[in-house]
Amino acid sequence: MLDGTTLEDEVWALLEDALAVYRDSPRAVAWLRGHQARFAEPVRVAVAGSRRSGKSTVVSALIGEEFAPTGATTWYQDGPQAKAHVGPYEVPVTRRDGKAFVDAPDAERVVVEWPSRSLRDLILIDTPAEAPVEQVYGEADAVLYLTRHMHTTDVRYLQTAHDHPVARAAPVNTVLVLARADEIGGGRIDALSSAKQIARRYRREATVTPLCQNVVAVAGLLAVAARTVRADEFTALSRLAALARTDLDKHLLSADRFVADDFPVRLDPAARRGLVDRFGVFGVRLTTTLIRQGFDTQVKLTGQLVQRSGLGELRDSVGIYFTERRDALKARSALLGLDVVLRAEPRPGSIGLATAVERILASTHDFRELRLLAALQGGRTRLPGDLDAEASRLVGGLGTNPVVRLGMDYEPTEGELRHAVLDTLGRWRDHAVDPALDHAQRRAASVVVRSCEGMLAPLS
Amino acid sequence: MLSTGRHRPSSVPGTFTRTGFTGTLCRVMSAPWLDVLDDTIRACAAHNRPDLAERLREKRARQLDPKLRVLVIGEPGQGKSQLVNAMVNAPVCPVGDDATTTVPTFVQHAETPSAALVRGASIANTPTERIPVPIDQLASRVSADQGGGDLVRAEIGIPRALLDSGLVLIDTPGVGDLRPAHTASTFAALLQADAVLMVSDATAELTGSELELLKRVMTSCPNVTVVLTKIDIAVQWRRVVERNRAHLARAGVAAKLIPVSAALRLRAAKTGDKALNAESGFPELLACVRQDIVAAADVLARRTVAVTAASAIKQLVTPVREELTARGSRAAGGKGAEDTIATLNEAQRRIDELRRRSARWQTVLADEMADLVSDIEYDLRDRTRKIMREVDKTFETADPALGWDKFESWLEDSLTEAATTNFAWLLDRSEWVAEKVAKSFPVVRDDLLPGSIFPDDVLDRVSPMEKPVIEKFSVVQKAFTGLKGSYGGVLMFGLATSLAGMPLINAISLGAGALFGGKSIIDESDQRLRRRQAAAKSAAARHVDDFFIKFSKDCRDAARHIQRSLRNHFSTLAEELQETLLESARSARRAVQDDNSERERRSLEAKRELDHLVALYQRVQALAGGQAPPLGISA
Repeated sequence: MLDGTTLEDEVWALLEDALAVYRDSPRAVAWLRGHQARFAEPVRVAVAGSRRSGKSTVVSALIGEEFAPTGATTWYQDGPQAKAHVGPYEVPVTRRDGKAFVDAPDAERVVVEWPSRSLRDLILIDTPAEAPVEQVYGEADAVLYLTRHMHTTDVRYLQTAHDHPVARAAPVNTVLVLARADEIGGGRIDALSSAKQIARRYRREATVTPLCQNVVAVAGLLAVAARTVRADEFTALSRLAALARTDLDKHLLSADRFVADDFPVRLDPAARRGLVDRFGVFGVRLTTTLIRQGFDTQVKLTGQLVQRSGLGELRDSVGIYFTERRDALKARSALLGLDVVLRAEPRPGSIGLATAVERILASTHDFRELRLLAALQGGRTRLPGDLDAEASRLVGGLGTNPVVRLGMDYEPTEGELRHAVLDTLGRWRDHAVDPALDHAQRRAASVVVRSCEGMLAPLS
Repeated sequence: MLSTGRHRPSSVPGTFTRTGFTGTLCRVMSAPWLDVLDDTIRACAAHNRPDLAERLREKRARQLDPKLRVLVIGEPGQGKSQLVNAMVNAPVCPVGDDATTTVPTFVQHAETPSAALVRGASIANTPTERIPVPIDQLASRVSADQGGGDLVRAEIGIPRALLDSGLVLIDTPGVGDLRPAHTASTFAALLQADAVLMVSDATAELTGSELELLKRVMTSCPNVTVVLTKIDIAVQWRRVVERNRAHLARAGVAAKLIPVSAALRLRAAKTGDKALNAESGFPELLACVRQDIVAAADVLARRTVAVTAASAIKQLVTPVREELTARGSRAAGGKGAEDTIATLNEAQRRIDELRRRSARWQTVLADEMADLVSDIEYDLRDRTRKIMREVDKTFETADPALGWDKFESWLEDSLTEAATTNFAWLLDRSEWVAEKVAKSFPVVRDDLLPGSIFPDDVLDRVSPMEKPVIEKFSVVQKAFTGLKGSYGGVLMFGLATSLAGMPLINAISLGAGALFGGKSIIDESDQRLRRRQAAAKSAAARHVDDFFIKFSKDCRDAARHIQRSLRNHFSTLAEELQETLLESARSARRAVQDDNSERERRSLEAKRELDHLVALYQRVQALAGGQAPPLGISA
């Protein structure tokens, strides 16, 4: 939280109270203890979406290691060495076709420990397409929802996820991902910029905006390839790039042609098939073009691919909306979990607890910020002119770091920062009592004021 | 004879153009499917289903139209427009990365390339306006026209051998797009379709929603071919084809599946590369369109008519059969009469029950309200006594001369609180009483409880000074907030009068400040302090007593008032219920006396109707070559 009082402490105390009330119910106790344990964990981010929407690919891209899909709910968390568990039993992690493969055919849930820096403040959950929305949103603190095109079934899925009193009061935990962005426009070379435009349109779409915090376009296949490109692959791609453009284009018309027999470069058909499997036709088209444009070392190429595939933007979104909001998301999950117990086993003491849940939801500033953000993005609250954008920035719409909140494009000294906060605070205090604004707008302004005060607290 | 129907060999282009329309009509008159369709339309009219008749008439008109409409349908971004472009080898439909097609676009034959926008109330109706536009400006004109809203379709004419035979390709907006209007216009276009190309791209298998869509399409147009697009960029397209075949088989959809690549086809057209064209899969698709759609137009017509007619007849049969079953069971051995008599008895039993219970609810109401009044009075007495005790205790030690004003406001607060709690309790209890009374009614109805248990003027009896307004069905909370203000007023007035002229408050001591701190700043004898304390006690006691008498009377009045309004409400309710029950008893009696012969006549009629429908359905089945499922009844 911004100031000294911690939401975490408050929720923790509430869970303790609940444990006291339910101490005679083993089921409730186990459930609540589970939620207490969740508090200490990194943020759990589920990757959900319909069949073949690219879930495993996005998970692999985020971790930086290609995993073969297991077909089960798979948890990826940081660990000292690579290993996997199904329940209490350890299962082997092997390599198959160059992919990390967990051999657990009938398991319902697999836990994979993998040493990766990306997993340090994040647990990724790869969910099967048929996993019910309640389960996905119940287990995870936040969700990356993948889709190829936003379809009415996707909208319905997300609406179900938000149809819960606690979820409504603290609405923020979903980022929509247009995965497989490389397939847009038939794999044309500019497919990605076009995908980014579509993402931008969805961000403004009235049906989509209230259901997610951001929309990001990602070319999953390319993103994985970017993080795992091997030296032999790079060599092969460089040799392809050395061909005359028209010559190569003929063979890149289709995947079939690329692996066909008459090929101008001496490259094993199996190697070519490997390339097109890993990169896709679009990926091969793009990488060869990039190499020709001068990104001719593996490092340069990787940097370009991470940026172009949308992986960078996806990681930023995960950072801004999930890992930086860890406290709020964790508290939100705990309150949701507590709410389940209170509904399932009502008893005399639970009324007091329910009131406390409601009080925290209503009064905690983090949630107020998130609600205001949702209202601003959903157009339910509008502020005149530039104030709209400034308000959503100040309440953490672009990130919760004070420098980002204040929209400063340089690293300020403490004095400068303090000055900027005071200036902003003063202006928003005026907005909060501005008679020209209506009630909802003044209330929004007072939330912003509170955010500014929060930034000031650690400075003075 | 069958071949005279819709068969238009593509080798004789232009035989059935618009001018030759009448000729076509005469020739198809004798087609068997047309007879069946006309009979079905008549049956629909006879069974009072003008909606079905209208739908069939539309279908009939379309079947007689020499145009053959092939609808290209699918979810957004699957490559529908590009497919149409590749089929005619020209970029006629705008193609984009986001949802591009916003209105159904009809691509048909014309001697010279042309385009037009068509406005109208809906796609099915006759268009009201047709505006020719330059073909290269069509896309921008369509997107500029989105605001108007009555644009129903775009038309494009190009000279192509494929379209020569009257074939019309209809490109549609994606189904399941976030804008429901797009989906709606596609389904409107579907009603006009003779055949459907369902488009899904090869980068993924058919999804659940696509299979749903496919089934929905099959119900209105059974002639579907699934086209798998973008096989150029899908590495695994052969596996997707296999899986999709399995999906189709599992869903029970008998549709051909053709993998194609529009990108390869368009490129082949540009470079004249025959091998590439073959690779694109389009030759196969076009052959399929020629054979299965254009050449088999008559079979198609029969199949389409059969499906539509079958679904209409099924809808007609259901009510007739139900009626027959109902009558049949009644007619069987006079059992029907027994049923009716049982209904009659039941109705009479319920009237008796209501009478019995109505005596009961009146007692319940009277008893409960009497209890309530006495409980409320006891509660109030208890509360005021507690306050008095507190007053006595205070003035054992404290000096009323110091801080009397604070005491005054404390007493006022305590009494107001007692009054509000007590009154809130009264309201709560009355609500509970109303529910209890409602429970003694033998029926469940939403309006069993009165809209508001408390008459609007219930507070009139409480406060003579101010009339707080309570809204209908007020929450108790609101009622006593209003009360608080007004009663406080009464109280202040009362206390001020009761203390008027009392000698014990002297001007010097008033400014002393602290409330009964026990410290006296003026040197006084114990005697005078005692006297002052006694006077204060008796003043307070008198005031509390006044309050008690006045307020308990108010409460009793309010309770009586509530009782009266509840009684009125429930008696009206009881009367209504009785009337309803009497009516159903009367109708049951009428049914018993109903003429037996009349019933029989109607039964026979229904049976005849059913026979007729079944015969018609058999003809439909014959038409479809056994494709329509059995009706599931025996006549």
